[in-house]
Amino acid sequence: MSNEEIESENNATVEEKAEVMPVEPTPEVVVEPQEKGIFDELYATLFGKSWAMWLGCIILSVLSIGLYMIISPWGSSGGILSWGQNMFDIVGIGLTNSAPNGVTSLLDNRYGMLSITMLIGAMGASLMAKEFAVRVPPKGEMAKGLLGGILMGIGAIIGMGCTIGQFYSGWPALSGGALVFVLCLFIGVFIAVKYLLWEMENHPGLSSGKSCTFLAAKTKGSSLQPLAGVIVLAIGAALMFLYDGATEQVLIGFVLIGLMIGFVLQRSRFCIVRTLRETFLTGDSEPTQGLIAGILVGMFGFTLIKILGIGDPFSMVAFNFWVPAIVGGVIFGLGMTIAGGCTVGSTWRAGEGHVKLWLALVGLVISLPLTAEYIKPAFLDMLPASMQEQMFLPDTFGYGGSICLMLLILTLWYVFVKWNEKTGRLTAL
Amino acid sequence: MEFDETLDCKGLSCPMPIIKLAKAMKKMPSGKVLQMIGTDPGSKEDVPKWCSKTGNQLLGTADEDGANIFYIRKA
Repeated sequence: MSNEEIESENNATVEEKAEVMPVEPTPEVVVEPQEKGIFDELYATLFGKSWAMWLGCIILSVLSIGLYMIISPWGSSGGILSWGQNMFDIVGIGLTNSAPNGVTSLLDNRYGMLSITMLIGAMGASLMAKEFAVRVPPKGEMAKGLLGGILMGIGAIIGMGCTIGQFYSGWPALSGGALVFVLCLFIGVFIAVKYLLWEMENHPGLSSGKSCTFLAAKTKGSSLQPLAGVIVLAIGAALMFLYDGATEQVLIGFVLIGLMIGFVLQRSRFCIVRTLRETFLTGDSEPTQGLIAGILVGMFGFTLIKILGIGDPFSMVAFNFWVPAIVGGVIFGLGMTIAGGCTVGSTWRAGEGHVKLWLALVGLVISLPLTAEYIKPAFLDMLPASMQEQMFLPDTFGYGGSICLMLLILTLWYVFVKWNEKTGRLTAL
Repeated sequence: MEFDETLDCKGLSCPMPIIKLAKAMKKMPSGKVLQMIGTDPGSKEDVPKWCSKTGNQLLGTADEDGANIFYIRKA
């Protein structure tokens, strides 16, 4: 592609050079009609720009509290594990260790359905925002997606959760194992960021080369994407009719809330990889602030649910303190950074059309059930019971003490990212 | 808009576009303009943010059928 060719298409301003052009976002789209209808305004609010991370996080926490009030909070890797177990089951490969009583059918697995509707919700949102497109990256990137997915699968099974169960839900659930898991996630992220920067210097070919994009919305004129988005969301919501309204309310609740979660994930570009990774790349503190806001809201709701006896107080508090959390955290951190999305980040980006993240999901679908079947039992057998405990912080510190401890940790984290953003002490870019 | 070099980030998802952009900008002499083409919707926010943080100047942006084009002058 020659520079002249593209230049000739974009030669709106030729006489500048010394004069600096102001930044004008998307100058070509300003062909709106004179009067802006009320629905155009609503559309612009919801889909014109991505939502702030803090807004997304607060809504996600409220939805997660909703799931907890139904039965148990938001989780992600368990759902993809269910996809994988069902797939192995259909192919005829029996997984007798990890599912001794047979595999629960995907339709009856609430987290499996939650992951499906999250993907559908994200796809609907990206279509409505005209951001959907099938994006095929260069081959090296696809390999990294697959490898990252496989590593995440191993990490999530050994660590007994992913960045949702052991972080976004695990921290508000006051789990000690979740604190260890996230500390070790940072180690994995740090190593993987170093790798990405090394790869960029020494093997730039991996992330360049042939790529293509299909089905993107045209910039000029109208697009069918918003209509397609409405249809996709309606199909997602219609999944609730698979269930009996009198006896299967839990599944109906998970289907509908999953759809909303997927929608919010895409609109706010919720990304835990980014939150942790930017510490070492650009130093941007905004994702961390958003995540902290979400965790605070979650902690308030979860604690209320526990104290009032609405839900199981040990939900999302796994038997992973401390060795499984350490090993799983590091491996998961490596995997999610190489893939460019954690389990839930891969799910919503897959809905938006990123083929790299489709491959991350493929990696997860394969490695989650296989790790649960072959690696986890042997690994846990090796460890004494004292190294795989269920650490519920209130058992040691009481609810008040645990919440004070969490507030202290969140405050320190906030001060740390702000300091790092200002000084650039740990940033590479 | 005139530019001196172009950087193809089509098909790439976060964080590869920003890592590539940082590397390409490092190599360019001060005052030159880079045209970056990407397809990740995340870049629409990431690139302006990165520019203002690093002091490089985002001269303008354009959309073209699913691709986002950025013009950045090296500080």
